Amino acid sequence: MREITYLEAVREAMTQEMERDEKVFLIGEDVGQYGGAFGASFGMLEKFGPDRILDTPITELGLTGAATGAALVGMRPIAEIMFMDFLTLASEQLVNQAAKLRFMFGGRATVPMVLRTPAGSGTGAAEHHSQSLENWFAHIPGLKVVMPSTPYDAKGLLISSIRDNNAVVFVEHKLLYKTKGPVPEEPYAIPLGQADVKREGKDLTIVATSVMVSRALEAAKTLAEEGIDVEIVDPRTIRPLDAEPIIQSVIKTGRVLIVHEAVKMGGYGGELAATIAESRAFGYLDAPIVRLAGRDIPIPYNRTLELSAVPQVPDIIAKAREIVQGKV
Amino acid sequence: MATVVIMPKVDMDQETGTVGQWVKQEGDSVKQGETILEIETDKVAIEVEAPASGILSGILFGEGETVPIATTIAYILEPGEALPSGAKPPKAAAAPVPAASAPASSGPGPGSNGTAKRTDWEVPVTPVARNMAAATGLDLSALHGSGPGGKVTKRDVEDALTPPAADANRYGKVYATPAARRVALERGVPLESVGGSGPGGRIQAADVEAYEIAVPEPVTLPPAPLAAEYEVVPLRGMRRTIAERLTSSYQQAPHIGFNLRADMTKFNQARAELNGHAEKTGGPRVSATALLVKIVASVLARHPWLNSSLQGEEIRLYREVNIGVAVALETGLIVPVVHKAGQKGVAEIGAEVKRLSTAAREGKLLPSEVRGGTFTISNLGPFGIEQFNAILNPPEAAILAVGATQNEVVANDSGEIEVRPIMRVTLTVDHRVVDGAVAALFVADLKATIESPVLLLL
Repeated sequence: MREITYLEAVREAMTQEMERDEKVFLIGEDVGQYGGAFGASFGMLEKFGPDRILDTPITELGLTGAATGAALVGMRPIAEIMFMDFLTLASEQLVNQAAKLRFMFGGRATVPMVLRTPAGSGTGAAEHHSQSLENWFAHIPGLKVVMPSTPYDAKGLLISSIRDNNAVVFVEHKLLYKTKGPVPEEPYAIPLGQADVKREGKDLTIVATSVMVSRALEAAKTLAEEGIDVEIVDPRTIRPLDAEPIIQSVIKTGRVLIVHEAVKMGGYGGELAATIAESRAFGYLDAPIVRLAGRDIPIPYNRTLELSAVPQVPDIIAKAREIVQGKV
Repeated sequence: MATVVIMPKVDMDQETGTVGQWVKQEGDSVKQGETILEIETDKVAIEVEAPASGILSGILFGEGETVPIATTIAYILEPGEALPSGAKPPKAAAAPVPAASAPASSGPGPGSNGTAKRTDWEVPVTPVARNMAAATGLDLSALHGSGPGGKVTKRDVEDALTPPAADANRYGKVYATPAARRVALERGVPLESVGGSGPGGRIQAADVEAYEIAVPEPVTLPPAPLAAEYEVVPLRGMRRTIAERLTSSYQQAPHIGFNLRADMTKFNQARAELNGHAEKTGGPRVSATALLVKIVASVLARHPWLNSSLQGEEIRLYREVNIGVAVALETGLIVPVVHKAGQKGVAEIGAEVKRLSTAAREGKLLPSEVRGGTFTISNLGPFGIEQFNAILNPPEAAILAVGATQNEVVANDSGEIEVRPIMRVTLTVDHRVVDGAVAALFVADLKATIESPVLLLL
């Protein structure tokens, strides 16, 4: 199969959906002439024109409100927030309006919008451009939160998100944009709320999200050489969460390591850990549920500190080894 | 907060200063404004005042040493406070800093002389972890740091201060993973008998599985030709537990037995006197079992290896003597426990044995009343059994099988024939833990005390 990048997969999904459905449009800061801060919409202004590729002023709240309103009257907007950090500014429209309206109108109104946003550290962009805030939105009933980890998932999940009748927060990872993988040329949809086993194994379950999936896969190679056979489950959408494959995997391995980039305190890993502990997998746990996640600090600018602030491949290897060797 | 004492700048063009005399010494209490040392520059000699009240600690430079201005030369600490983490060890083998006045178990403190072991000063440690360790006397050098670069963190100190096994013992619980508990439940393995191979002695599922392996697979019998030839009683509940526990006990623990005959003359006299007293005071009568429990508990206190169990990789010598008393039931057998029997009087023991036996027959024993036994007595004397061997009650290392007291013809010390009341007792021990000689010493001590209960006063 043809290989393209994660970024190209995002662009291809938007392009194909805009070709399929004229109600789909893109709105955001620098998404038009500049082609998007990371180039996700590069060339799309030329293809679709300024009526469907809308550059806005620097106003996350305003553009999210505009997208919410457009969705309410029947359009299917894709809004791009340049950095996930600035979802804090868009939160009023997203959390208090877009997430609520369907319920407040008894289902007679829907908000079929997608809010795409790059998250994560690793680019030297420091405190204000490096955060992973997905759990803020996973907490809100009425929102869906999607976190693709591969080009294939990015395209299939974005197409599903655009076709979904709810507000979807679509979290892309900056470090994944340039990673390549096989992606079918034709449009296809991966259902929201369907976890994916990225690697099968028997000794330890690693539940990882976003960029941590590829780090876990990398770690699994080294661990395999040591005879540690790791199973990697990628929830892909953290709301709704498809818990069953995680539970099945933990029952199989008896040990689980949860890896995410967001700060551990109050992070989504706690939700995963509790989901496992509350399930029938509890009686199969032969080690404590362990979380490996971001340190309890803002992402530092200093390169060394930045790398140390979130889990890296050697951290995953070390922690996995500890769990399997019975040291925790 | 530690206050630093620095080499002051007293002249416009001064770059260094020389320590003159320390007026106050390491460990002295000082008040703010009080002179603590004299320094000399190339122009003047001047007194240096304490910048704060507290305890002068961590003096870094001695008389005659010259250092640049603003160099830290000592600290003033609040009582009980440790030196700051960045502090260097005191120059001289000075008196210990206040932090080291914590319990004697504290590790190599800042003031101690170098040994092959890492000292606290060399252990990378976060400030809060260092303070916690100083306050509790924990030896930081023994810890494995989980922080960046192997730094010892607050969490590491907390973990070291509360070993999981301590919690388990305090609450009378077993430290096991959920999977181990599930497997134990499914297979009827008594978790308290399983040794834990996980961190802190935690029992893992594999430990329970390994324990099970010692018990043979049930033999599948060919279908019976005529079901009418016998009545089928399914192996379940208490019967199954007895079958599994005693099979595994008999297979795992090498049993050795020791027989003794005790002359019960004085035992019976003592009991008669106790009951005479009870009649006068209206107290409860003392059963032979109660007096025997008291004697065994009292003797066990002097023989800790008989009051022990082998669990996994460790032998536990119990500090409490908890005597289990086997009670026969219609459907089986149960062993309620007289806790801390050594600390109780015979009347109290008697009342407790009676209450526990009744509760056992009525099926009303609480889990806590059958747990925690460290030694078991099985008395078949009332059934007229002269002598028998018991199987160890796992995980205990010893059990006493008590027979009936019967008049026997014996030869006394003078070689004459006498008729004496004799009780025959058999001690069975786990040879993995208790050797023959150790058991023999216990048996001799036990025989002496049964034959002369006044020895209880020892």
